[in-house]
Amino acid sequence: MNTVPHPVVPERIMALLDGELPTLEARVIATHLDACAECARLAERLRSTSQQLSAWNVPNLPAKVEKSVAGLIDGTGSNLKTDGPALPMGLGRWTWGRRAILWGGTMLAVMVALILALPFRQRFKQETMSREEAYDGKLSQLAVPRPQSEARSQALPLNSPVTLSSPGVAADSNGLFHGLGDHVGSSFSVNGQPLTDQQSKIFSSAIPAPMIARTVSLVIVVKDFAASRSSLDAILARHRGYSAQLGVSTPENAPRSLQASLRVPAPELSVTVSDLKTLGRVENESQTGENVTRQHVDLAIRLKNARETEQRFRSILQQHTGNVVEVLQVEEGIARVRDDIERMEAEQTTLEHRVDFASIDLQLTEEYKAQLNPPGASVSTRLHNAFVAGYQNAAETVVGIVLSLEEYGPSLLIWLLILGLLVGLVARRYRRKAAAM
Amino acid sequence: MNGTPGNSGLERPATAETDEQLMVAFSRGSMDAFSELFLRYKQPLYGFFRRRVTDQAQAEELTQDTFFAIVRASSRYEPRALFRTYLYAIAFKILRSYRRKTALRATLFGNEAGSRQPVLETHSDAELWVRQAVAKLERLDREILLLREFELLSYAEIADLLRLPLNTVRSRLFRARMALRDLLATSAPKSSPTKLAEREECV
Repeated sequence: MNTVPHPVVPERIMALLDGELPTLEARVIATHLDACAECARLAERLRSTSQQLSAWNVPNLPAKVEKSVAGLIDGTGSNLKTDGPALPMGLGRWTWGRRAILWGGTMLAVMVALILALPFRQRFKQETMSREEAYDGKLSQLAVPRPQSEARSQALPLNSPVTLSSPGVAADSNGLFHGLGDHVGSSFSVNGQPLTDQQSKIFSSAIPAPMIARTVSLVIVVKDFAASRSSLDAILARHRGYSAQLGVSTPENAPRSLQASLRVPAPELSVTVSDLKTLGRVENESQTGENVTRQHVDLAIRLKNARETEQRFRSILQQHTGNVVEVLQVEEGIARVRDDIERMEAEQTTLEHRVDFASIDLQLTEEYKAQLNPPGASVSTRLHNAFVAGYQNAAETVVGIVLSLEEYGPSLLIWLLILGLLVGLVARRYRRKAAAM
Repeated sequence: MNGTPGNSGLERPATAETDEQLMVAFSRGSMDAFSELFLRYKQPLYGFFRRRVTDQAQAEELTQDTFFAIVRASSRYEPRALFRTYLYAIAFKILRSYRRKTALRATLFGNEAGSRQPVLETHSDAELWVRQAVAKLERLDREILLLREFELLSYAEIADLLRLPLNTVRSRLFRARMALRDLLATSAPKSSPTKLAEREECV
């Protein structure tokens, strides 16, 4: 293209051909075109280029699109992509945003379902475990005693696997095992053979009464703390209980509280708890029961064995004579066994005490009423203190930021670098793709 | 200059109402007005997309989307500018959105263009030659040229649509025309139409 200075800028000639010039200027340039061969040639080239462009034809719009838009006007718009049934406007196409919302919603729903299902699963697991434990306990109890009755003649193998056809089976007042509730048809079986009434009677008599160590936890808010304290003592005296531990806290400008660990006879537990509840408003209550039957039975057997051993040692000492060394060895044995016996007796006593006396963890809290205190420091002092505290906080914040940057800055920088590289790569690829379109 | 480009001319019915009047009537509930506008602009709009998108089905869908958008936004229409400018502004927005999505999809999941079946259309040598030459222009120059030559927008309308100064539009349009003239003069079609079509890129 000729770039030699010319009275008419080439772009103006193009504008003239496009009809983009004001009338006056258009007339001037048109006159110039008649006189200037170079400009006329340029105009001709521009016209010819546009002419060539007109070769680029586009086929007619397919009828299905027309039909789809016509359907939209009629309110029965069909989707071009799917040719499916009419959809309400805005729902016809799945955009990325909608897909993201759909996926996000689905994920959220699944998460909520999982969160809701988790407690049920845990509870189910706990129930299953406790049922299995209870069942195992029964089996072990069945195996401990050796029934001496005539039932032994029936040669029931106690070490045989005893299985419960289904849960919910208990012994009745006659000592016979029967199903309970929905499990009326349930029964014990040994090696797959159902138990007879006679056999089930032996089992039920072999099972000792359960030993349960009960613990109750109570949090009570009382209005009159002093009166409640007196009532607590009265309740304990009435039910023949005692406090194993008791602590009272009386802080300033705060509610008073009492924490006590009480012991009451097990049969009196429910009555005592009911009486304690009358002290005030129960804020929290929980009850637990620990089955210590197995521990007690084990301890009893070990104790019995130890006593028998001691007895044997003593009879050896009395009936047999030997040298001094042998006598000393036997006496050492007796001392050792006696030590074990005393320790086990103490354990047994403690265990029985835990069963005989239920434990109540009590917390009494006073219903606090705020009291009007005389104003403390003056306004100027408070302003000064606030300013000092604010300054200290600001300084600590700055120091904290600097320390954090020092501590995590280098790692952060590395991660940012990696992230930046990744983002840069993706962005470059995106730009390249976008430019190609 | 190129007042009647290809077959993109409007099928103007014998109504004297302007586009703006029809759009106002449509915004007040006249379905006939919309039918009239659709008749006038269905082909130019399809041409707009067809010249810018490789996939014919996509061009059809984008055309449909633009009319859907017009319908959806009809209640908010105010005749502050020419309807034609309004229409192409919406079309351009939809096209940009489509390009963004396609580029993002290609970036993340690889190029989808290869998986598509080429559209079997009959093209003349001259047409393919022109398309190839236009495809070689710089992106913005190409856009301005197409808007002027095929959509017949004025310089001011193009400037408004692309958010460019008027002088930039004029100088770039001139540059694009000169470049195209050189391309058309030098790169005469040497391959068969089929080969040209295979090499053709999205304009």
